[in-house]
Order: sequence, then C-alpha cells, then structure tokens
Amino acid sequence: MRGQEHTAAPVIELRDLYKSFGQVEVLKGIDLTARPGEVISLIGGSGSGKSTTLRCLNLLEIPTSTGLLKLLGEEVRLKPGKNGHSEISDHRQLRRLRSRLGMVFQSFNLWPHMTLEQNVMEAQVQVLGRHKEEAGEVARQLLDLVGLSERREMYPSYLSGGQQQRGAIARALAVDPEVMLFDEPTSALDPELVGEVLDVMQGLAEEGRTMIIVTHEMKFAADVADRVIFLNQGRVEEEGTPEQIFEAPKSVRLQQFIQSIN
Amino acid sequence: MSDRMFLKDLLKPHRIAMAAVAGGLTLLLAINMDWSWMPKYTPDILRALWITMALLAGSIVIGFLLAVPIGLVQVTGPRPLSLLAKTFCTLIRGTPILLQMWVLYYGLGSLFPYLPGLRGSWIWPFLIESWPYALVALTLSFAGYEGEVMRGAFKGVPRGELEAARAMGMHPLTILRRIWLPRAVQRVLPTLGGELILQLKATPLVATIAVVDIYAVFGRIRQETFITYEPLLMLALIYLLLAGSITFAMRLLEMKLSASR
Repeated sequence: MRGQEHTAAPVIELRDLYKSFGQVEVLKGIDLTARPGEVISLIGGSGSGKSTTLRCLNLLEIPTSTGLLKLLGEEVRLKPGKNGHSEISDHRQLRRLRSRLGMVFQSFNLWPHMTLEQNVMEAQVQVLGRHKEEAGEVARQLLDLVGLSERREMYPSYLSGGQQQRGAIARALAVDPEVMLFDEPTSALDPELVGEVLDVMQGLAEEGRTMIIVTHEMKFAADVADRVIFLNQGRVEEEGTPEQIFEAPKSVRLQQFIQSIN
Repeated sequence: MSDRMFLKDLLKPHRIAMAAVAGGLTLLLAINMDWSWMPKYTPDILRALWITMALLAGSIVIGFLLAVPIGLVQVTGPRPLSLLAKTFCTLIRGTPILLQMWVLYYGLGSLFPYLPGLRGSWIWPFLIESWPYALVALTLSFAGYEGEVMRGAFKGVPRGELEAARAMGMHPLTILRRIWLPRAVQRVLPTLGGELILQLKATPLVATIAVVDIYAVFGRIRQETFITYEPLLMLALIYLLLAGSITFAMRLLEMKLSASR
C-alpha cells in the first residue's frame, strides 16, 4: 500500500549536506529523501551525525553547505554568511516551513510554566492563529490520543518522563505537521517507560504519517520503518529496507554495528 | 487553599509567643515614651511616606523594564549593544549609588541651565525639581543590578525549551514574550524579594539631594523637637513594615507561580 504513495513528490529532499562545528566536520555529504507516508529510521553509533542531520532538516542547526534542501516542495533559501558558514536568508519562509514540521526531542522540552494542555495549545494560538476554544478542543483530542486526557491540567514537572514525552508528541502534532521528526525520543527514558512512547509512535506510523526517526531502538526501527539509513562518521554508509539492513548488512561497519548492539 | 495554609503557618505556638513578646514591648514603649509630637507631624509623615513609596515603586517598575533588554542583549547580542549593557552594569554596580545620585544632581543638574533652549521647554519644570534626579538615580541603579540578574536568568533557561518553540515556527518576539521572559522571571523571583528590600533601603539616600522622603522628615522632626529616640524608633518601624509587606507580597507571588515548578 505504501509503495504507491512513494511515487508522490518528496516532502523532504536533501542533497550533499555538510556541517562543521568549528574545525570538526560532522556531516560529510548526506543525501536524504522522504516521500509522503514514509517512515525513515536514522541509525548509527554516537557521533555518526544522525541527530545533527535531523536538526539540519528544520534548520535548528544551519548547514555549513548543502547542494539542495527542499522542504515540502520549497527550496530553503540560505545565504553565505561570516567565516564560510551559511545563514538563513528568509526567516519568514523558515517559520512557515517549520510550522509544518513537528519535532520531538530527546529531553521532551515541554514548557514548565504551562500546563500540558497549554503546552499543546501554545503554537496553535501563537503560530497558526487559532482561537483558544478551537485550540483547546484540538489539545484535548490529541492528549486523548496519547493517553493523557486525565493529566491535561498538570504541569510537566508532575509527570513521568514517558508522560512528558507523550505530551511533547501531542504538542508537535497540534500544528498538523506534514512530517514528524523524532530526535532519539526514548533515550532519556527509564527502560520501563520506553514502551508507552513507542506505542504512540507506532500508532502514528500506522496512520500513514511521514516520520523521520533518529533512534537507538533497533527492534522498533525494524518493525516500524519503511526504510533504514545507517550513518557512519558523517556519511550514509548503507540504506535500505529493514530486512536489507538488519538481516543482510553489506558494509563491514554496519555488520559491526549490528553485532555490537545485539 | 494556599491562603489557609498561610494562616496555619502563622498560628504556630512559637510564632504566637514571639508576637506576644513584640506586642508587649510595643505597648511598654507606647506608654513610657514621648509621642506627643506625633499628631502635629502626621500629615508630613504621610506625605513623605507616599514619596518614599512612589520612588520605590517607580524605580522598581521602570528599572525592571530597563533590566530586561539590558540582560537580554548580553545573551543574544549584537555585540556592540551587549558591550554597552555590560559597561553600564559594571559602572552601576562598581560605584556607590550615592555618588551616582550626586553626579546626576550636582553634576548634570548644574549643566542643564547652560543648555540653550532647555529653559523654555516642557521638561524644564522637572529639571529644577530634585525628585526626578532621585528617581532617575534609583532607577538606573536598580536597572544595573537587575540587568545582571536577568542576564543570568535568560541564560539559565534551558536551550531545549527555546528550540522547541523555534522548531514550531514561532516568531522570536513571540518566543521571548511567551516562553523566554516568563521562564526567566520565574527563575529570578526568589532573589527578587531580597533585591527589592535592598532597593527600599537605598531610598533614604535621596534625602542628600533635598528630596523630603520618610527618612528626611524624621530628621527634621528630631531637629525641631529635640527628641531623639522616639522618631528613630517610629522610622525603624515604618521601614520594617514596608520591608515586611514586600516580603509578604513576594511570597504570595511565589506561591502563586510555584505550582508550575
């Protein structure tokens, strides 16, 4: 079923992404294409550049240079800035594009001075300009979806990590994003809380949402992803279906990586 | 619910005992000392009390409004503004407020008459009064101290919380108004109470540039009546009450906001 959707125009098109922090080059020419409805997992060891790649997609990190960065069919305009780094040239365009991407962070990053419901309402009101009543209605539906309807009046500090992360997913969904980006969403969680977050994510994948997931949960990646990308030292080392990646890894690096986690 | 808890806090045995001792002492002083001057000076005291409170409130409100950008630009840049803010904070915090007040009043104030055109302008009536100099000096001082405090507070808000807002396409000003500033203010609140009391205790310095605040009025009472201790005790009581109300108000504010921490 998904196969048909994959012929549609890509929602994310990234070519030749380079990123340096100071003297250290962490990304050395990454390509990534995501089509509507696709679930892509980025895997790799620590320092392989998977989080940085994800953060470059919504420009939380500004690429040092890219051949092409197209989000939702629009090319992101960058301009050359100081000391060889790029700068954003059209902030208005960037804000518009960002509001159509949802991001979930490793450390949840809920706003502690707002209740869960207010967290989920905030961007709806401030970015999309929705009325409070409508935003509240959407917030209640989404918190219901992630199983937190009873906690909506609570402040984040009173919630467990798993609950906070599910709340953060609801917050990201509130602006009806066309792509969801997940940056190691379960890495900061106690082991017994990982499942509840993965369940929510699996539900989203089954709805046909486009998702790009940086994760250490290999079993989850194997079960949910349509495509897995293995990064090593800032390059795409291998890319394919979960079967190809996990059962028939070609490169030595990937074979070592899979062995090390099993 | 929180109000009732507050009352219960006050009704502890040791607190009741302390209050009784204080009450007894007050009664003793009230009976045995000379308070005959009170009725005559009450209107003066009230007027001066108003001036002290107005200077305090004005300098705190305007000073804090200045402290926000002073703190912010030191975190966000641009560099020239950040340097300017840093220099301002260093100058204010590195010199006595008495000196600052005198530089403004005797220094700047004595230059103004020589500026052409100023005498005829709307601002002139203010420039020949002394309270505007007092207000400006107190305001700048508060802005200098709080600017430094706000710098730390802005810096201390976890990056991720701001990134989450940015990732949703929020405008930088919206992020400042809805996330960054409220979170920074939440962080300074516990220290702010102490800073407000320090500011209260800086206000008597205005008496040195001929502003008749509460401190100055009691100086005059002592000179005119030749009574020493009673006016001083009354003055101490007034400052205590002012400081107490600040503490009380800050505690209420903190309780109100602490639900989210």
